[in-house]
Amino acid sequence: MPIPTPALALLPLLAPLAWLGVAAAARRTPGLRPRLLLRLADAAGLLTLAIAALAGVAAWRTGPLTGPLLGAGGVGISVRLDALSAVMFGVVAFIGAVVVRYSRRYLDGDAGQGRFVGGLALTLAAVMLLVLAGNLWQFGAAWIATSLALHRLLLFYPERPGAVRAARKKFLVARVGDVALVGALVLLARGFGTADLGALLTRAGDALAAGTLPAGTGAAALLLAVSAALKAAQFPTYGWLLEVMETPTPVSALLHAGILNGGPFLIARFAPVVSGAPAAMAVTIAVGGLTAAIASVAMTTQPSAKVALAYSSAAHMGFSLLLCGLGAYPLAVLHLVAHSFYKAHAFLAAGSAVENARGTPRRTPAAPPSTPLLLLAFLTAAGAVAGVARALGEGPWRQPVPFGLALVLAIGLTQLVGAGYATRPALPVLGRTLFGAAGTALAFFALERGATHVLQAAAPVRYVAGPAALALMAAVVALFAAVVWAQLRLAAASPSPRWAAAHVHLRNGLYANALFDRLVGHPRPPRAVPLALETTR
Amino acid sequence: MSARPSVSPDALARAVARATDTIAPCWPLARFVAVNPFLGVTDRPFHEAARTLARAAGARLTLPRSFYAAELSAGRIADRHLAAALAEAPRSDGVPTDVEALRRLAAAGDDQATLPLTPTVADLAADLTGHDWARAVTERLSAWAGSYFDEGQAGWANPWRALTPYAAWRAEAMVDRTPELLGAAGCREVFAGLPATAEALTARAVARLGLTASQLEPYFHRLLMQVGGWAAYARHRGWERALRGESDDTVAELLAIRLAWEVALLELFGERGVARAWAVERARLGAPRAAPAAEAALAADLLLQAAYEKARQEELLGLLAARPSIPAAPGRPAVQAAFCIDVRSEVFRRALEGVAPEVETIGFAGFFGFPIELVPLGEGAGGAQCPALVAPRAVIAEEVPGAAEAGIGRRLRLEAKAVWKRFKTGAVSCFSFVGPLGLFFAPKLVTDALGLTRPVPHPGSAGMGRGWQARRRPVLSPGTVGERAAGLPLEAQVDLAEGALRGMGLVTRTARLVLLAGHGAQTVNNPHAAGLHCGACGGHSGEGNARVAAAVLNDPRIRAALGERGISLPADTVFVPALHATTTDDVTLFDLDLVPATHREEVARLQERLAAASSRARAWRAPRLGLDAGAPVDAAIRARSRDWSEVRPEWGLAGCAAFIAAPRHHTAGVDLGGRAFLHSYDHREDPDGRVLELILTAPTVVGSWISLQYYASAVAPAVFGSGNKTLHNVVGAVGVLEGNGGDLRVGLPWQSVHDGERLAHEPVRLSVIVAAPCAAVNGVIARHEHLRHLLDHGWMHLYAMDDQGVVTHRYTGGLTWRAVVAGAAAERAA
Repeated sequence: MPIPTPALALLPLLAPLAWLGVAAAARRTPGLRPRLLLRLADAAGLLTLAIAALAGVAAWRTGPLTGPLLGAGGVGISVRLDALSAVMFGVVAFIGAVVVRYSRRYLDGDAGQGRFVGGLALTLAAVMLLVLAGNLWQFGAAWIATSLALHRLLLFYPERPGAVRAARKKFLVARVGDVALVGALVLLARGFGTADLGALLTRAGDALAAGTLPAGTGAAALLLAVSAALKAAQFPTYGWLLEVMETPTPVSALLHAGILNGGPFLIARFAPVVSGAPAAMAVTIAVGGLTAAIASVAMTTQPSAKVALAYSSAAHMGFSLLLCGLGAYPLAVLHLVAHSFYKAHAFLAAGSAVENARGTPRRTPAAPPSTPLLLLAFLTAAGAVAGVARALGEGPWRQPVPFGLALVLAIGLTQLVGAGYATRPALPVLGRTLFGAAGTALAFFALERGATHVLQAAAPVRYVAGPAALALMAAVVALFAAVVWAQLRLAAASPSPRWAAAHVHLRNGLYANALFDRLVGHPRPPRAVPLALETTR
Repeated sequence: MSARPSVSPDALARAVARATDTIAPCWPLARFVAVNPFLGVTDRPFHEAARTLARAAGARLTLPRSFYAAELSAGRIADRHLAAALAEAPRSDGVPTDVEALRRLAAAGDDQATLPLTPTVADLAADLTGHDWARAVTERLSAWAGSYFDEGQAGWANPWRALTPYAAWRAEAMVDRTPELLGAAGCREVFAGLPATAEALTARAVARLGLTASQLEPYFHRLLMQVGGWAAYARHRGWERALRGESDDTVAELLAIRLAWEVALLELFGERGVARAWAVERARLGAPRAAPAAEAALAADLLLQAAYEKARQEELLGLLAARPSIPAAPGRPAVQAAFCIDVRSEVFRRALEGVAPEVETIGFAGFFGFPIELVPLGEGAGGAQCPALVAPRAVIAEEVPGAAEAGIGRRLRLEAKAVWKRFKTGAVSCFSFVGPLGLFFAPKLVTDALGLTRPVPHPGSAGMGRGWQARRRPVLSPGTVGERAAGLPLEAQVDLAEGALRGMGLVTRTARLVLLAGHGAQTVNNPHAAGLHCGACGGHSGEGNARVAAAVLNDPRIRAALGERGISLPADTVFVPALHATTTDDVTLFDLDLVPATHREEVARLQERLAAASSRARAWRAPRLGLDAGAPVDAAIRARSRDWSEVRPEWGLAGCAAFIAAPRHHTAGVDLGGRAFLHSYDHREDPDGRVLELILTAPTVVGSWISLQYYASAVAPAVFGSGNKTLHNVVGAVGVLEGNGGDLRVGLPWQSVHDGERLAHEPVRLSVIVAAPCAAVNGVIARHEHLRHLLDHGWMHLYAMDDQGVVTHRYTGGLTWRAVVAGAAAERAA
């Protein structure tokens, strides 16, 4: 029996409603060991997972649809259900359920466990309303609400000066991002004459194809790019992300796996608009590519588990934005989703850092691989990528962007193969690494094909073609290659003063955070224990 | 920098040595063992140490007054305890002299007067510039130390690791722009102008800061405590080197770095009032200003704590006095089961004795006298599986009998794993990993959340198939690991076997079946996992030591040699190694294939008894774990051991309060609540007192260390505890930060001593009860300075027990004893 479409599009709203219910219940038991609340939250997690699964099936069966507006005068709540929102909804529901369940034992005995679970629930409700938004005003409101709800979680231990400082930085960045987003949304609503997301995307898609995008689209797209970069903690504004470990681990897992995503999601959501604005695409490529390179190198210099994960998140968000900027939206969304699972696990398992380090003891190879060996490694990796692509009938070399992306994959795999070549005795190890490289390439192309198919209506591929964009892409690919080359060569090289200095600069994230600190100040908190000076005054 | 030398090089070196010795070491997380955090100050009385630590670190060695007030009103501290405490304490100004006044004081709530902290330039700069330089210096120093001391977390390691700490720091400080961006313009130039070695810098700094010899020690101590976590880690490096007979000055180097910051801040902010303020403050360094109110508050707190301990001791002695009289079983027991002295064994031994009266249990340090470095299959090095006080005697490798390829096979798998990890966590290559393969973490999130899988493979068995894992075995015969000699020569085996048997009292009436049960914890995703393992095995599971010990003791050649030394084990005695899993209370037996057919049936019966005892022990522990009475306890406890979100998988040694060295029949049948270390000892079998000496100087001292670690983590969590587990951020694989920065945190997490409602560890100094004549005990105390300090300075209490199991005397310091009134029930003040 077919379910009527409006009812179908209302169903997902039950999920944020459930989390709002949990948040309301938490107000009654904000403290220690709220047994009933914990059971309720667990149930809400499972319920929202089920709803997300149903919504996914619905989106797949019926195609994109927008539900009725619950509100008046064009302002209110409506649901946009398409492949993009269904995928993001599923991810958020899944991460939410895992994180809430984790908090049951993790926060056991904390005087504010109820408040904590309530904060998680409120944040989850806001994120869900964001990814499901059917109109621009809801999108903007949920975007801001997410950030405010998260702010409360970041201040879960308000007595920690570090938490206050980090939250303040985050607050400043988020408000600038809000202004940019609201500006973009107003421009879009005026330009396209509708605040309904579905209608807007259709009109923008048509206008893009016809080359008749209204005036103001370029400015709106630029504002979207700025807002996305701020949300996704891109260089040089990532300082706050590096410091928000002052709140329990589940918040970090949710933030890194479910909220930073908002940046690339924003670009993918408004893909037809951004694709029509070369300047916005160029900014996204440049900011994303640069952050991907800087943050991922900075990550390798970090001795502390959670700070390394924070740099890693900035880098992956950068990579995802880079893919957006190149118009490879399905790959960008795939990367987002994959990163969500990866990073949620990495944070929740951060307590295993000691076992991780023990399980794979650091050894310095006898000698860095020579340049010919590296070249051989690259050719092997490239051969594996090309071979797999050919076997699958893919032809990434026919267009510049897919070619560039296949090249990036091969450059990454060079790290694997190169290290395999450099290990002695090599054969069994090399066999495993080659097998791993081929398997990774296979997974890449298979998943790319799958993502492109799933997202063909909601966020189709629109590769950039302008010479400026392609030149930027070439520069980013070259930068990536240089990083991998330096990384393999440096593994054992004795440090030259220049490399040593680079290590310090990068370990400090190129000082973006110190500058930010200067901006917000570093005041002395009231001293808990007196110094002699004070008693003498 | 104009400065005239104000302190002679000798005096300076002495002051540095004294200050660095004041820092207690802390072990890295992978082999986290309990250390007395007051190790450097046990050479002075407890109350004096309390003053020292208040001025150096703002630490307070007692609980808030409200705690004692609550205990008083609940009747858990009575007037007689207050009176006893008053009678023993020296009179001092402003401190109550009678019980009523003391009661009123406790009820009045916390006293705000605290001793002033020793001043530093960084503190003055913070006060006078409006920027928190004290915090910033700790932050910068910790950020550097995390990278320099990193034992394997960062893929791109610190480029100056090969240099000494000070040289490495200076090289970095001349490059790092952070301080200047934070407002210390010219900082790099100042650092560049500093001497190149720590020694020269220290001398220059002392002159520049205008300090005299008498001012140095408290000032240095304070500077080190501002980076106390890293200082403790640095001290551990020195400790390990000292065991190998080498010297080490990592702590002095760290002090030099901290001094360099003092000089820099004085140079950079001197003109903004810091120089003037420092001239005033440093004058007080040698002779701190009197703070009578604070002194009185501290003395009163110590009185309340003393009364609290009196009350707890009365309970303990009461329990022992009321014990059922169980005579020593005559003749040869059917089974003897040796467990570690760990307080968790007390619960299990009681449970086992309850279900299996034919089993006699023994308490002995869980490495069973075999100090080894156990190298896991296919690896090049292992951890020291012995107490922190001793160095391993032998390197023992593992093999899989009948599978010679196992070692190399595992090594290659680990290599491949390392290559894969570098791909996964490498710059840029991480994009090629996450994009295609990140999706596979979705099912892993589910299985990890349900406890079906481990978040990361166990490092001891990673890269090992199930088959090898079950069949691997320690190799005793001589061989090599890498380039080092491995294995135990026969002569050494005999020595160790003799020591173990005499220590365990297994010289006469040894049973047919002797279980050697080491212990280990089963937790996942727990940075402090090693702290729940066996401390006597260096923060490792005791399985390896038990298996080595059993293999040696079962060897006929060893038995023959032992016979020549006067220990004739019955020919039918078989030793069986086992592991007591403390998180789940399950006991697993090993090397059963080596058990002769004649003993198989008895072993099978023992396994049934052990399983019954496990259930009983779990049921006893369930309420303390907060498990509902109706819930299926066995399943709930096992689930806890696999739960990656569990912050209290078990209580570890929380609650430890007593150490009893006596024959087991003096304590059998008493519910000591998992609070007592139980060491088997019969002084009648130890006429020359050698075993007594060993017990008092090794396991007893370790027991006091553990108790003081719990004590410090409970009373001064900000200084000696590692904070909130939900914020832990593992750094350098050596320790944790709380949140994203700050100093390295040492000691126990708050969750390990507090259940959210009340302290799970009631902080008391250890009460040691020894069943031996006072004179024999005095002999040992007189010969060992560290033991004398611990006892005479109030770091632990000591009682003597007579041959009937009655506690008769209490040690009152200076080799004197006082009779315990009325047997044991209540020791009333004279």
